[in-house]
Order: sequence, then C-alpha cells, then structure tokens
Amino acid sequence: MNHGFRIAGRDHIGTALRLPDFIVSLANLWHRRELLWNMTVRHLRGQYKQSVLGYAWTLVMPLTQMLTMTLVFSTFLRIPSQGMPFALFLFVGLLPWNFFSAALSSATDSVAGGSSLVTKVYFPREILPTAAIFTKVVDLLVASLILVALMIYYGHAPTWTALWVPLLFLIQFLFTLGLSLPLAALNLFFHDVRYLVGVVLTMWFYLTPVMYPADIVPDRYRILFDLNPLSLFINAYRRVLLQDTSPGADRLALGIVISMAAFFVGYYLFKKMEPGFADRI
Amino acid sequence: MQTASDEKAIEFIDVSKRFQLAEGRTLREFLPALFRGRGWSAPFHALRNVSFAVGRGETIGIIGRNGSGKSTALKLIAGVMAPSEGGVHVYGRVSPLIELGAGFHPDLTGRENVHLNASILGISGREIRARFHDIVEFAELRDFIETPVKRYSSGMYMRLGFSVAIYSDPDILLIDEVLAVGDAVFQEKCLAKIREFQRQGVTIVLVSHAMPMINQFCSRAILLHGGQLLADGAPQEVTRQYLELMHAEEMAVS
Repeated sequence: MNHGFRIAGRDHIGTALRLPDFIVSLANLWHRRELLWNMTVRHLRGQYKQSVLGYAWTLVMPLTQMLTMTLVFSTFLRIPSQGMPFALFLFVGLLPWNFFSAALSSATDSVAGGSSLVTKVYFPREILPTAAIFTKVVDLLVASLILVALMIYYGHAPTWTALWVPLLFLIQFLFTLGLSLPLAALNLFFHDVRYLVGVVLTMWFYLTPVMYPADIVPDRYRILFDLNPLSLFINAYRRVLLQDTSPGADRLALGIVISMAAFFVGYYLFKKMEPGFADRI
Repeated sequence: MQTASDEKAIEFIDVSKRFQLAEGRTLREFLPALFRGRGWSAPFHALRNVSFAVGRGETIGIIGRNGSGKSTALKLIAGVMAPSEGGVHVYGRVSPLIELGAGFHPDLTGRENVHLNASILGISGREIRARFHDIVEFAELRDFIETPVKRYSSGMYMRLGFSVAIYSDPDILLIDEVLAVGDAVFQEKCLAKIREFQRQGVTIVLVSHAMPMINQFCSRAILLHGGQLLADGAPQEVTRQYLELMHAEEMAVS
C-alpha cells in the first residue's frame, strides 16, 4: 500500500522526516518567507490597535519593570550588580529574558490560535510559531533603543565587543524557536501546555540571573545556573555589553551546541506531529 | 513531477482516514503513542478505502449526506490532512474556496488582507500586485479597500475572499457550498467565472447539496456514504442515486 502524500511541485504535509526531508522543509520555509513576513506584520499591526499609545506600549512594559525592580532590588535589598549601575545591569538581562518569555508564550499559542487557517489551507505550519517569535524580535529591537540610551546615559557606550550581540541573539533565537515548536504542537493536543508554560516561565525567571548576578549564588546551587541556557545567554550579553570582553570560546561553543540541538530536536518533533494538526482541531 | 500522471489532477488510491474521537487523553498515554507513531484510542472512519481519479480539466461533484466524508476528502485534497492509509496525489496549485476569508484579520484593511490571504495561498507579492486591481474590481470593493474588514458586511467579506482565491491562478479549485452566500448578481458573476475556468482547463472539485448545480456544472460526480464510495459516474445518474438513497433513509425513519 502506498503510504504518504504528495503534491508535486508544492509544499506538503510529510509523514516522515529524514535529512533530505529536513532540507526540503527548510527550503520550503525559505520559499514562503513572504508569508512569514506578512504574518509578522499582521501580528504587529494587530497588537496595539485601538489603543491610544499604540506601539509605545512595547516600551512602557520594560521601562516600568526596570524602575520598579531597581528600586526594590538595588535600593531596598542592596543586591550587587558587578560594579555596574543596577539599572544597566538589570536591563541587559531583562531584555533578552522578556524576549524569551514573550516569544515562548506567544509561539505556544500560535498554532491553536491559527486553527481556522490550519484546517483550511496548507502552508508550512512552523510559519505560525516563527512569525509569533519574529513579532517579539521587533519588540526587542525597539526596546533595545532604551538600552542604548541607558548605556550612553551611564557613560558606558557600547564598544566593539557589542558586535558579538547579533551572534549571541541568533543562538538565543534558535534555542527559543527550538523550544517553541514542540510546545506549539503539543498545545493543540493538550491545552494544559499553555498554562504549564506560564508556570514554568515564572519559576524560570527567578532561577535565571536577571535581577541578580550569578556569582552571589551559593556553590551547591550553581548547577542550576550552569544547566540553564538562559543564564548562559544573559551572562554572555553582560560580558560583551558591560564588561567589554568576548563571551568566552567554551561558553560560546556550549551555547551553539545547546541551541542547535534544541532547534533540530524541536523542529523534528514539530514535523512529526504536523500531519495530525488538522485532525485535532 | 511524475510524467506518467500528467493527465491526472487528483488521485485517491485506496484512501482511508481515521480520527481519534476519544476525549480525556493524558500525556502518559500520548507520549509513548507519539513515538510509536500510532493512535491510542478507538478510531472513527471518515473515509474507507476510497479510490478515484480526477483528470485535468474535469469538473467533479462530490455529493453525500452530512458526515459522509465530503469535507474530509476536500481537506485531503487541500493538503491540510494526511490519509491514515493509502495515497493522495495532487498535481498542481490548489486553491481552496472553503469557508472564505479564514485568513482575514479584522483589524487590517481590505488591501492588507488581500496581501495576507494571497501569501497564505502561496501567491507571491509580485503576482498579487499585478492582479490587485482585478481582485478589487471583481469583489466590487473599490471604495472600501482601505477600510478594516471588521467594518465589512458578510457579503463583502465573502466577495473579497472569493476574489482572492479566483485570482490565485489555481490549477485545481475546491468549492465547498460557498456559492450559497452572496446576492444573486454576485452569484451569477461567480458562476460565470467558474465557466471561464472550465474553458481554461482548470480542474474543479465542487461539493454541494444543490443537485441542479451538480448536474449543470459537473462532468462527473461521486457519491460518498458513510465514508465509502457508492457511485462514480455521470452526474445525472449519481445525483439520482443520491436522491434515492435519501428517500430510502427517510422512509426508514418514518
């Protein structure tokens, strides 16, 4: 019996995923980049429609977070910040965290949220979570303007080591996408997943050195931070932006391995579940 | 492309489609099932060993009662579902005209939605810009194209969706009862467009409960009943069988 499914000259739902299929999938994704772009714009346009401040809300959130957290953790609790102004120290960690957290939640909901499309017309489904994450990349880019202003304000303008940031972000992006893909798929089968993601993200935030430096953590808890990719990413951002050093070859290599592994495993699982999406909605 | 299949547009080879209906799935049952690649509860058969082929340029009607498997067949052709068993082969660009405007975003204008919907259907930005004027003219929405579609009436919504799908240059057009919506004038325009497609050699799959429409437009019809293919042949013959079937079931009920 002839298993499988084929649409000649066109992308299609695959039933197996071997390396050649994988390359075809990625090529299809590239081929449909226009759709990816349009969906991202759709999210952005829809985000703050009918609000007075509009897109400026994207800036209000991290700004208020920074002000409140600086007051509580630096002024009240006197948490050290590696010899940096606390607001600056915090913000360099807060932006990549906020991106990760917002991207993961929004991507987890993306396929279920696009269910009316998923049951009508075929397009590579990974476009939905990817577009959700791209939207948050735009938010991050805009919020980065505050960071640059803050760095200049504190007399710590970015140096040439800031050129590491795009590479570090690419690593973080791949990790985020890799984690999002299977979550977005599983969320179709079990709506518990989205709530679980919310719970895990809250815990994860406190266990990531965003509002405190990792070196105040007692040694026996260090393992929590060594195993936490977000901790790795945020430390690297702080090194290249605040300490003006390179991220460190071993840490960089570790980051690349983790994010590549997350991406390939995540993409594989997503593609494996994809043929069942329309059946479950 | 398989050269041997050049004459065919759609081919179903012994296709079965099962759904898992059971609720209350748990992760503990699901995860092992996922890795074995199998389901984990009693299945429901939406299609059973269905085989048929549609030649290029043919207009085929799919008829049957609600739940007979028509929508499942359309979804298999559209490529949103994969068969549980058997092979579905589709050659060419498919444009689904199923529940129009699924890709529309209420806050975006008509213009922005045309671009979004077109890219969902796989049309490039260049192609869509070239046809934009025709799309808007056909939908009769020139004065409203910069208006967010949430201000549209359902008829306007439908016209825009229909128009985008029509101008997506399909090789295969899937039509699912959508022509029931819209006023008589627009309906007539759509039917004229469908005839034009037929002349151009576009393959059309028409799902309808309106037997006159099937008889009028289709060169062939197939009858699905309980997921099985009951008849495949001339539309007049197949629609007659369908009406007899309906009649027999009515008699059985009363």
